[in-house]
Amino acid sequence: MAIIAAVFTILVLFDLPRFLKNKEPAKVIIIYAFFISTSLVISMLLAAGKRPPSPAEWIEWILKTIGVIK
Amino acid sequence: MDRMDIENNWSDKVTEKAKISSIQLFMIFIGFLHGSSVILSPAASAKNDAWLAIIFGGLGGALLICMYVAIALLNPSKTLVQILQSRFGTFIGNAVAILYIWYFIHLASLVLRNFGEFIVTVTFPETPIVVTIGIFAALVLYAVNSGIEVMSRLGELFVPFMLFSTVIVMSLSLITTQDFTAFLPLLENGIKPVIDAAFGLMSFPYGETVVFLMVFPHLNSKGKLKGVIALSTGTYMIMSLFIFFRCIAVMGADLFYRVTFSPHLIALLIPEVNMESLIDVNLLIGGGIKISICIYAAAKALSQVFGISDYRKMTTAITVFCVVLSIWVYENILEMFDWAQKVWPFYSIPFQVFIPLILLVLSLKSRKKQLSSDS
Repeated sequence: MAIIAAVFTILVLFDLPRFLKNKEPAKVIIIYAFFISTSLVISMLLAAGKRPPSPAEWIEWILKTIGVIK
Repeated sequence: MDRMDIENNWSDKVTEKAKISSIQLFMIFIGFLHGSSVILSPAASAKNDAWLAIIFGGLGGALLICMYVAIALLNPSKTLVQILQSRFGTFIGNAVAILYIWYFIHLASLVLRNFGEFIVTVTFPETPIVVTIGIFAALVLYAVNSGIEVMSRLGELFVPFMLFSTVIVMSLSLITTQDFTAFLPLLENGIKPVIDAAFGLMSFPYGETVVFLMVFPHLNSKGKLKGVIALSTGTYMIMSLFIFFRCIAVMGADLFYRVTFSPHLIALLIPEVNMESLIDVNLLIGGGIKISICIYAAAKALSQVFGISDYRKMTTAITVFCVVLSIWVYENILEMFDWAQKVWPFYSIPFQVFIPLILLVLSLKSRKKQLSSDS
């Protein structure tokens, strides 16, 4: 967990000053924060052994529900 | 408008001023197709009739690729996102473009996972998969940030070496241990496994080249697009057949069907020479090209949908997400193979067939309108 948090902190510390220096629009920071925070949350859950259902499972479930695959 | 004008028009309107040559496109296209298909052997389910599946799947795949090229030629200098915006309108176009961004990210994650599994299974069994995927992703990120020109030059440099060593050298090294009748009898299990495998092959890898709609506008000469893509698709099909006959002649139909990573096993069978590491490196080149193209396409599409000036601002975040997604998406290697074979072709149909087909029809209509208004 600590390693994951450290890796994400380093990544953000590397990119964020560039965004602030170049006065990037808010949408850039929001999209960046969305990807990084989603990745961080999923990594933490995986590291804690609480794996949430993956997109592969969602997709399989949807295709099964609409009868495309058995 | 003569050919020179068309070419100038094509080049001038490209948003990112990077240009790639025909030979570079040829190399990265083959590298992309060769990519993870050498690891997963998509036609292996047809056993000794896989060569028929490769031919049928290749022909179907070539039709799909023809459709993508036709879309690119009808919308010169436009990327997939710009085509979607112009044909569907901004709102629906952006919504579909976001789905494509997800598709490209998902594809990059799956290929990352394929290579992670390959490396931890055959080369570094003690290393956690996240380490191999993380280091590989860092290299890919560096390539993507360097731009499409650098990625294409890397392809130009490495792909011939990869093809030479994995296809020609390996096959010649095994020439004394082959049974050239191993692919017989024909259609032992009926036509159904062949059709299933051909369908799988159409979506993986041929249909995945829809991602190149984000790359085609960078080609420096529009006139050569058709020829380059036809040549690279044909070359890949012949190469796949050659690899199949090598694998089945050396391993036999049963082992070919059962083995997890056939190229690696083939490398281990070469007498008196250890080519294992060379093969690993070469497979990583193919995978590297495929993942970089997918991440490049996702980042570029994202920047065009949200009006971000440079796609590089998003590459780190997207690559990090791809790494996490590649770990999250499957629990183990068996699930990975099962999903790639059973679910992926159906999940891919809207992205590879339906939406491009609608785009082609709308582009043809608009072209017809334009021609009639001109005359």
